[in-house]
Amino acid sequence: MPNLILHVVSKFLIPLIIIFALYVQFHGDFGPGGGFQAGVIFSAAIILYAMVFGLDAAEKIIPPYLLRILASLGVVIYAGVGVASLLLGGNYLDYSVLASTQIAGQHLGILLVELGVGITVSAVMLIIYFTFAGRGRE
Amino acid sequence: MDLFLGHYNYWVVIFLMMVGLYTVISRGNLVKKIIGLNIFQVSVFLLYINMSTLEDGAAPIIAEGVALYSNPLPHVLILTAIVVGVATTALALALVVRIKEAYGTIEEDEIHKQDHSL
Repeated sequence: MPNLILHVVSKFLIPLIIIFALYVQFHGDFGPGGGFQAGVIFSAAIILYAMVFGLDAAEKIIPPYLLRILASLGVVIYAGVGVASLLLGGNYLDYSVLASTQIAGQHLGILLVELGVGITVSAVMLIIYFTFAGRGRE
Repeated sequence: MDLFLGHYNYWVVIFLMMVGLYTVISRGNLVKKIIGLNIFQVSVFLLYINMSTLEDGAAPIIAEGVALYSNPLPHVLILTAIVVGVATTALALALVVRIKEAYGTIEEDEIHKQDHSL
């Protein structure tokens, strides 16, 4: 029997959790926050969905093959920023050369790197959860 | 008195550390052992963060009218340690799942009864 209170409350909470994750992600330049925390908060929203609505429904939103691509995409973004700064004449992960001014370059660089960290962390947390939770099915 | 009240954060750390250690030693259930290990780990995180925090210290971001900043290096170290902790917990849980499949139990004394080579 579906639990009505759980369904209604989690449908109300999940968008808020995702918005908070995005806030933590993109406010990481100016205050406490960043990719690690935001990725975990984001995956907590999906894990809540999986616990309330079932694992199959959650895997319909983010299929496991997509999670594996996302987990490596984050690493590619992180390393790609470093290689891009190498190609632009700086050191590896030297953000200053990424844009026309040094401050703009630092902003862009840390934003992209934290985005990569966030994508990888949320994807890996979901892979860990789905792997453990999916063991009972076979 | 100042030893207890002035440094209460360190007493919290010691309490959590001993709770974790006692749980690891006294419980035979492997999942409970992992929970104890995690509590122990959190106490070490708190110890490092406490040491680097200043009273009235702001986040280490340059701003007008702020002179005192907390040292960000231990926080970053602990951020990495938290991520490593998640990975080791996942590995430990995977080992427990495998032990459960092999022996049919996660109680330590029952595993010892089944396998005399341990």
